Amino acid sequence: MAFSFGGDFAVQPSPQTVYAFLTDPQKFAPLLPDFQSVSMQDPTHFTVKLNVGISHIRGVADVKMELSQAEPPSRAQYKGQGSIAAGTVSMTAGFDLAPDANGGTRVTWRGEAQIFGRIISMAGGLLEPLAKKNIQKLIDALQTALNTGVHAQAGEA
Amino acid sequence: MANDKGPATQRMPDTLPHQEPAVEKPHGAKKDGWVGRPIVRKEEARLVRGCGKFIDDFKLPGMVHLRLVRSPYAHARIKSVDVSAADKHPGVLCTLTGAEVAKLTTPYIEIGPEPSNRIQDFSMAVDRVRYQGEPVAAVVALSRGAAEDAAELVQVDYEILEPVVDPEFALSNKSVLHDAMGTNQVWNGVFEYGEVKKAFDEAAHIVHIDRMHFHRFSSTPLEANAVIGQWDQKDGRIYFWTNNSFPTIGIQLIAPALGTHMDNIRCQTFDIGGSFGIKITNYPQMTLCALASRKIGGKPVKWAETRTEHMQASAHGNERTFLDTRVALDKNGVITAIESRHIDDCGAYPRYEPLGCVIWSQVFPGVYRFKNARIDFTQVVTNKCPVGPNRGYSRMQHLWFLERVVDICAHELGIAPDEMRLRNYIRPEEFPYLTPNGCVYDSGNYPRMLEMAKQLIGWDEWKKKQAEARKQGRRIGIGIGTTLDSGTNNFGQSRIVNPNAPFSGNSQAANVKLDIYGEIVVSVGSVPQGQGHETVASQVVADVLSVNPDMVTVRAGFDTERNVHTGHTGTYASQFAVSGLSAVHGAAQKLKSEILRLAAYALQTPVEQLELGLGKMGAEVRVKGSDKSINYWALSNIINVNNAGLPDELQDVTLNCRYTWRAPFKIPDIERKYGNLTLTYSSQLHIAVVEVEQGTFNPKVLDYACVDDCGTVINPRIVEGQVHGCTAHGIGAALMENCSYDEAGNMLASTFSDYTPITIVNMPKLKYGFIETPSPHSYSGAKGMGEGGAAPIHTISAALQDALYQERVYVTESFNNGDSIFRGLEQRKAGKPVGGVRVEHRG
Repeated sequence: MAFSFGGDFAVQPSPQTVYAFLTDPQKFAPLLPDFQSVSMQDPTHFTVKLNVGISHIRGVADVKMELSQAEPPSRAQYKGQGSIAAGTVSMTAGFDLAPDANGGTRVTWRGEAQIFGRIISMAGGLLEPLAKKNIQKLIDALQTALNTGVHAQAGEA
Repeated sequence: MANDKGPATQRMPDTLPHQEPAVEKPHGAKKDGWVGRPIVRKEEARLVRGCGKFIDDFKLPGMVHLRLVRSPYAHARIKSVDVSAADKHPGVLCTLTGAEVAKLTTPYIEIGPEPSNRIQDFSMAVDRVRYQGEPVAAVVALSRGAAEDAAELVQVDYEILEPVVDPEFALSNKSVLHDAMGTNQVWNGVFEYGEVKKAFDEAAHIVHIDRMHFHRFSSTPLEANAVIGQWDQKDGRIYFWTNNSFPTIGIQLIAPALGTHMDNIRCQTFDIGGSFGIKITNYPQMTLCALASRKIGGKPVKWAETRTEHMQASAHGNERTFLDTRVALDKNGVITAIESRHIDDCGAYPRYEPLGCVIWSQVFPGVYRFKNARIDFTQVVTNKCPVGPNRGYSRMQHLWFLERVVDICAHELGIAPDEMRLRNYIRPEEFPYLTPNGCVYDSGNYPRMLEMAKQLIGWDEWKKKQAEARKQGRRIGIGIGTTLDSGTNNFGQSRIVNPNAPFSGNSQAANVKLDIYGEIVVSVGSVPQGQGHETVASQVVADVLSVNPDMVTVRAGFDTERNVHTGHTGTYASQFAVSGLSAVHGAAQKLKSEILRLAAYALQTPVEQLELGLGKMGAEVRVKGSDKSINYWALSNIINVNNAGLPDELQDVTLNCRYTWRAPFKIPDIERKYGNLTLTYSSQLHIAVVEVEQGTFNPKVLDYACVDDCGTVINPRIVEGQVHGCTAHGIGAALMENCSYDEAGNMLASTFSDYTPITIVNMPKLKYGFIETPSPHSYSGAKGMGEGGAAPIHTISAALQDALYQERVYVTESFNNGDSIFRGLEQRKAGKPVGGVRVEHRG
């Protein structure tokens, strides 16, 4: 099961500031929905622990993330792979940054996710809307954090 | 319905009482013995009271539990497997990985020829996973819960590979599953008979059907797979308690993989909650339990599959695609030739396949008379669950294809579907019928079955109702499905697939004895899963020894130590009524002969003056016309307990008689793909009335009739139960059950919530009848039955075709639901063709 997502938004900070934020896992990872913790393996590899809940399927997912593209200050891309008991998810999320006329940054984000495992059979109809909801939470939290400097976890912003 | 047309008997619905006494209830009123009576099954009392002995009920001393870690991916390279966290989990005794299994075992023997025999098939994925749910590690723990918890701690690092889900794409070899094989094609062969080109040259009409597709579905037995394996350190033997339904093949595969002798393995089966063929395929898990047991010092290790595991990763039925079909017909609508290209999808590993590549040809022409045909048959591997024999294995796909061909041709030529079949059926007077590929159909009467089914369903009345309904815009269709259930395989057909295959013929063994107290004990090597073998075996023996079936104890279920098995022993391919009961009958006859010789000595009377019967002291032999007799206990006493002075001529009498029945088969002509592949051919004719509901487009069965012919009926109650079971299975498959996959190889129906197996709530009331055309190929006239040829799938497809034909929607998929019907109708509304059917009329 594969789906794509994307969109764009504008924030006040400059591309350099946004880029620095996005490529710092300690700042970026806590914005992920249902974030628990992050542990760094090296500057570009880290593991995020997330609470996962889809209908009656509940658990904790370890998502291995890699900052796979880093082109300051215009592009950052993450690749991730995570698993829970009933399935795995592979995803790519990229951010293209461009200065806007107000001195801020226009962030264009694109991503793809692919889900494997019996979770699709058990909760397939829920996955795409749930993923879209969580992605929107992440984007909202990201905008808030960039505009206000407050690092609220997604869903709390 | 009166029995007014010859020797066949028949019964209208609702005449069989639901509560019958165990004995003495004549059925059909034509038989003097026990065979033919609907006695209550011996097995029923314990099974319906929850007293069956199923593997997951077993709790052996010291027994521990195995849990499999399974791949979420359909196709991926295994980069690493880390079991360290699982090993440290409380209660865990050991873990197993694919790499370890590859060191401890050799790959299973492959049945196919080059290059498919290069496949390395272990009990667990070693360096690559090839279907979602394939085991990659195992955890053994003191409790099932601990094993499950620890299994979640196993870390597997995968590199995802391109999945092969579509069988036609598989043939492109753009992504190859088994590098050693170098191709995804397991087997290809052309089955050509008669004068195909000439028939097409002379045809009055040629019908083209671009593509048809038979979907995957499962058997969904009530009991999933289960095994307990123990590699006993004291005697070095391996013990299996299993619900495998073909253990002789299982241990022939397991022993070489484990590097041990077959005789070192003891395998036992007990009650089994259904198999329908697919439990033949649980031998990899048997192997894993034995390996795990050895690793932990010989404790018994149980593996009991969950329903999700079963649905996702046990075995499915074969999926088949039919391409470029051409049908030649004469001016009367008689089919003169068929040519087509078939691609069979066997999933990730061929395993019991590629026997399916030839088994379908047991029913090469179906129930039809055409003599000219060319089928190009290919089997491929894909990143889906491996297939296994599934009720109607390999034949139902072909029979569905033929029924679709006949049905579509009838509609295209404007011939009523019933009339079309009558013009093309093999005629009753043509039996025994030699098919184009050398099979011999033993007996049958398809027109008679059609007539009976039409009467049962009220054909004429439904035709009137249908016409009225159509005026109101309702879509009601009436469909016919005629099908075959070929039973008792000639294993020599395996040589058509692989000339070096070491199998041929067929055989079964049984033992009938008088034990020390004169009780009659029957041992059979079959593996019943609900077929009532204990009952029918007792009926056969009761007739031979002139006793009551209640006086016959039958030890059913497989046990290597009982010594009543051959290399073919198991329960599969609709054969027990012929092969199993022939062995039982032969053993009973041997025993009877010994009883009479011994009684002649004891009573000092020639054998010709003796008869068997029941007396005041139970079963006895008596001198005809006198009160002089000796009972079975006394006879057994002479041989077993009080045998001093037994004369020399009776030294060979044991009252413990083993008999091996062998089918009279020859090895087929491998080059021509010609020979008799099966001994008996039961037939089924079903008629369904189906309405496509307005608004939802859901197909709803309004009425259903089924007529069965399995030759001489041994127990009508059991036969009727089998017909109900296979009809439910088929209706479920036609309308509800689909092992669908997405493009990434995710299996989308791994729970019952998604798979929606049929239940009693979805079943129409069946109108049932039967005829008997005794088989000349079995001692009793019985034919194997129980698989049912998937008749409902053919029948419901035909009914839907009838409902949708006026809108030119062709039914070319075996699975149809509201969604697919809606999409087909929408496509037609948009002016697009649905089904790829066209006709050439040549005047």
